Amino acid sequence: MSGTYTLPIGPLHVALEEPMYFDIKVRGETVESLGLSAGHVHRGMESLAMQRNYLQNVVLTERVCSLCSNSHPSTYCMAVENLAGILVPERAQYLRVIADEVKRIASHLFNVGIMAHLIGFDSLFMHAMEVREIMQDVKEGVYGNRMNLGACTIGGVRYDIDAEMNAFIRGKLDELKPHLEEIYGIYTTDPLILKRTTGVGVLPEADARRYGVVGPVARASGIAYDVRKKTPYCTYKELDFDVQWDTKGDVHSRALVRLREAVDSVSLIEQCLEQMPEGPTELEQFVAIPEGEAVARSEAPRGELFYYLRSDGSDTPHRLKWRVPTYMNWEALQTMMTGCQVADIPLIVNSIDPCISCTER
Amino acid sequence: MNEIAKQALESALNKALGPDSVYWNKDLNGNSFGWVRLADNDGLSRAAAALAGVSARLMVITAYRVDKYATYPGREIAYHFDLDGTVVTVTASLPTDEDTIPSITRWFQNADWHEREFMELYDIKVTGHPNPVRLFLDTNVEQGALDRLVPLSTMMNGACTKTLWEKVYAGTEMPDWAKGAQ
Repeated sequence: MSGTYTLPIGPLHVALEEPMYFDIKVRGETVESLGLSAGHVHRGMESLAMQRNYLQNVVLTERVCSLCSNSHPSTYCMAVENLAGILVPERAQYLRVIADEVKRIASHLFNVGIMAHLIGFDSLFMHAMEVREIMQDVKEGVYGNRMNLGACTIGGVRYDIDAEMNAFIRGKLDELKPHLEEIYGIYTTDPLILKRTTGVGVLPEADARRYGVVGPVARASGIAYDVRKKTPYCTYKELDFDVQWDTKGDVHSRALVRLREAVDSVSLIEQCLEQMPEGPTELEQFVAIPEGEAVARSEAPRGELFYYLRSDGSDTPHRLKWRVPTYMNWEALQTMMTGCQVADIPLIVNSIDPCISCTER
Repeated sequence: MNEIAKQALESALNKALGPDSVYWNKDLNGNSFGWVRLADNDGLSRAAAALAGVSARLMVITAYRVDKYATYPGREIAYHFDLDGTVVTVTASLPTDEDTIPSITRWFQNADWHEREFMELYDIKVTGHPNPVRLFLDTNVEQGALDRLVPLSTMMNGACTKTLWEKVYAGTEMPDWAKGAQ
């Protein structure tokens, strides 16, 4: 007898109800190795994108994922704009940043909320989700939807913020700020959270680089890479913020990076509301997309989002490829999980903020 | 824009592939994008080794048909790398369906999933991949689904074209009425 036992986990649980299959080999309560099986809900969206015209793809890409649903159309639009040399009006660029940061706050609060649930700290879970409702109200009030904002279009945005809406958002951010501070305080001091997350699921910097991980997973492992700073887009270079990072590379540090980023997002939205100039929010007329190829990147809540567009000059893309942050982060679970306890598996999986709908585009 | 990263990438690629191997352009925010088209696929390994040597990061790999509607053979594979914010895309060509491409997992471990994905979706043969098993689609779907299957919208839009019927009747005798379609 080898003493090794195979523990099939998934596809319908572990941190979230999305289908991903984990083939985990354990010895006693300790994980020895991990295999991943994807593909249970692969949707062939890249194939669909090649059959839809450029404007229809704005709608399609918004449906790649719900939590980072604004990052997809905005990055897709940037790829089209890069190829066609479209200059997006400055006000529209600020409005894109606002939409992205609203989504980032809601996404990060969802992740840390689920983490509390997995720890068994359900009162904190419910509190985090209740706090997140403040941003859901912003989404509903400004964009008319709680998840898909419909904010972006090629060459601009499809919404605007007037003085009344500006005041509404500021009021909501003021309401949110003390709650974020409180939650951050709990995550840094609560003995239960510290016991369950500190030193758990460690991803050393060398392994993070080897797997090419991105986003808060990379930043918590000492790679201070944030697309918003490295290759600024929209108006990020006009805005004041720091790249949040850490060197411990464990579940706890990944959560703290996300919470600090949520705090920064509040400031970014406030700066946009303050600095945003008057002016048009979209192109006066649509521009033909020329033949050629272009790349665009953004910092989605889960990390670097990449779009590659190849055009043959027709009204549908020759090829549209996107790579979501989670795609790069899955395999790093092999390092994070090896040697961990079975009870920590869901916490570690959740700490990469996995998105199956993104992976199975 | 990071000039140091751009120069490091250009120097490494020129050394591996010959002078002036990289074409550069910029987006309206001043971010640089490098483009390399390989003269032969042996150059992929040299380019990968050179890029690994300057600690570039593989971001993603994109495979596509040279002709979107597959009226003639040929695929291309675009490898997208990043070094400290500067992006370089290295493109390899596979003019015939028999052409193969070497794996770059030796230099970039994270190429594993990307290579398995294009093996599966475009039926491209990769040599030297350490774990060439299916990544996504159910095993009852044949390899090369994106490459081979006719999408419904193409069917609906092009229901009277010869191109469509050539695809439908590939490998068999095409009926006369289909031969006359424009």
